[in-house]
Amino acid sequence: MPCRKDYVKESKDPHEVVACITEKFEKDVSIDIFREQKAGIKNETQFYEVWLTITRERFLELIDQLFEFDFLHFHITSGNDDGDVVTLYYHFSLFRVAEQGKRLGMTVGVAVPKEDLVMPSLFDRIPGIEYSEREIREMLGVDFDGLPNKALVFLPEDWDQTIKPWRRDETGPGPEVVRELS
Amino acid sequence: MASENVSTYKLPIGPVHVGLKEPITAWLDIDGEKIVNATIRPGAIHRGIEFMARDRNPIQVISLSERICGICSFSHVTCFVRAVENVADIPVPSRAQYIRALVLELERLHSHILWAGVACYSIGYDSAFHLGMLLREKVMDVLEAFTGNRVNYGMGTVGGVRWDVTSEVDKTVREMVSFYRNEFDAFYDVVTEDPIAKARMRGVGVLTREEAIRYCALGPTARASGIRCDLRWSAPYEAYGDMDIKPIVPQDYYGKAYGDVFDRFLVRVLEVYQSLDIIENVMDGLPEGPLMWEPKLPKLLAHLKKADGMGWGAIEAPRGDDTHVVRLTGGQENVTWWKVRAPTYANAVSWPLMFRNNELADAPLIINSVDPCISCMERMLITDRSSDAKQVVSKAELLEKCREKTRRLMQS
Amino acid sequence: MMKLEKYLEVLPKSLWVFACNSGSCNGCDIEIVATISPRYDIERFGMKLVGTPKHADVLLVTGPVTRFMKPKLERIYAQIPDPKVVMVIGNCGCSGDVFYKSYNLVGPVDNVIPVDVYVHGCPPRPEAIIEGAAKAVLKLEEMKKQLLQGAAEAPAVVKAGAE
Repeated sequence: MPCRKDYVKESKDPHEVVACITEKFEKDVSIDIFREQKAGIKNETQFYEVWLTITRERFLELIDQLFEFDFLHFHITSGNDDGDVVTLYYHFSLFRVAEQGKRLGMTVGVAVPKEDLVMPSLFDRIPGIEYSEREIREMLGVDFDGLPNKALVFLPEDWDQTIKPWRRDETGPGPEVVRELS
Repeated sequence: MASENVSTYKLPIGPVHVGLKEPITAWLDIDGEKIVNATIRPGAIHRGIEFMARDRNPIQVISLSERICGICSFSHVTCFVRAVENVADIPVPSRAQYIRALVLELERLHSHILWAGVACYSIGYDSAFHLGMLLREKVMDVLEAFTGNRVNYGMGTVGGVRWDVTSEVDKTVREMVSFYRNEFDAFYDVVTEDPIAKARMRGVGVLTREEAIRYCALGPTARASGIRCDLRWSAPYEAYGDMDIKPIVPQDYYGKAYGDVFDRFLVRVLEVYQSLDIIENVMDGLPEGPLMWEPKLPKLLAHLKKADGMGWGAIEAPRGDDTHVVRLTGGQENVTWWKVRAPTYANAVSWPLMFRNNELADAPLIINSVDPCISCMERMLITDRSSDAKQVVSKAELLEKCREKTRRLMQS
Repeated sequence: MMKLEKYLEVLPKSLWVFACNSGSCNGCDIEIVATISPRYDIERFGMKLVGTPKHADVLLVTGPVTRFMKPKLERIYAQIPDPKVVMVIGNCGCSGDVFYKSYNLVGPVDNVIPVDVYVHGCPPRPEAIIEGAAKAVLKLEEMKKQLLQGAAEAPAVVKAGAE
């Protein structure tokens, strides 16, 4: 359980962060995108962004590893119905307040098989994640183990909860639910 | 908390509320005048925008993303096109980057002045509200002269911007900067020097630094709690890469960050001055060059159709950082999926903390203090759990209560 | 005893307005706020925004009406005393506009409550909102006349209720 409560003052080099993660998680992790973000007249690199994928089993371990670097600032969880699996992407920031231009965007992708749609909740580590986990639960049907409040966030109370708006299979919204205005 | 014979009352605020910019429901547990606990229920204006985007191509989604929020519309557009540019690997011409930064700062100006006005309105300081709204019209005129619209400018497109800064626009913008330099001080003084306004905002709705970190607070809300965060500083994008921007935190000005409503007011008002400086910098450094990477729309769409991958745009909107994630699939015209995280989404999580141990009369002010994206509370229902008796307090009465408190302070 | 309809003759010509956001992007809502602010100053016509529908003559609705807001909008409409006028501000409330296909929208507004004045624009300029309000005044006067006529034609029913 990470005990970090504040942001670090000094940042680490993004290559070092990635090397550290690949060394520890070896084949359970894959670095999908390592992107330099450029801006300004000289088009210089301003900051970096890393997208990686991890297995569900080692997801919490990776989060704890990331907490070693800095308090993980949580942006959002995005996700998609990819056939047999629902892929979730957790978007975090590292070194958010460390130094100028040192923020490191960190996206953690996890594939959740449809026959067992459960993810460990990060609520006890980052309480600010609550709405996002509840949203993913109602939109994609992924349950979160350890999330105390599982009430609906965006859908109305009388919503048929077997319909998951973002799903593309039979649980998605059918033509009888989707209205065309005018 | 209430013991067995002392009951707390459950009090819904919203979803329709004059002081709010977004219909949202807040359930407050109150013990007398004190708020013990609060539960937030969003969802009143969930339109399913991410679902709609699946049937549209990236250029069509631009007009959709512009209408996520009518106040920070250009922030959402910039964020979305940045994500798309990331996927399709499209470089943005430097002149377009500067123009984007210009519109983003103009938007920040009008948003912050609007918020400061509305905050004064909710404490019953109507003259300051009207002064603020009058001042705001100047930047609205500039936006209209530049883009043709007061709201939803239609400025951004993938790979650049659609309108150029002409010499007339340049003149209007510079005139506006000197106007605000002369006139805005009056507004700043009438609010910050006013003992009543200070008494209504100081120590109200406190969010401590540690809570702000754990609950992932953003933008002016986080900065008021003393967190030195600003994406324009920590992850520079567009023209901010050439500038030196420092996050504005209250401890630099008043020695200490209280994290209350007054600090949030202060941060926003000081950011108005910062924005004026940035606008001047942008106008002085505006490079020559093309406006778009590819002005021919069919060619651009063909390029976007080939693009495959995921992109993440994060920029500092007036309320905090705005995040868009886009997935494009090669060979498909439409956006495969798109996720939007508006700043209020994150700031609303920390609302219950701000409500704790505050008076009911401060509730509208606290809700407004994070600058939620306006609409209105119509009435609320007080339910006494012990007797199931229902007493309805209208929204007008609650606002009156909030204003009554100001009058009380004025007499003492 | 004075008939209830008699009071319609003294109904003031200044409109009191209640605004409800049924799922819009706030663009229209801030333009409504701009309309009451000093530049456009709709209060010079005696119009003002009120905090409860029970005090209102006109209901301003913005947005394409989400499922969550539909019962709320119906209740707000029911609470406004007759004669009343409903104005829709903005394209998305008038026709759906960019939000044309969704699982959570039940709009446009005239699908939920009867609408008298449509103000187009995304968002409409404050001047357009003022023009819409002027049309609402005409509509309200028309309704007032009809109500008074109706009262004159069927006095027996009213009398029975009053006594």
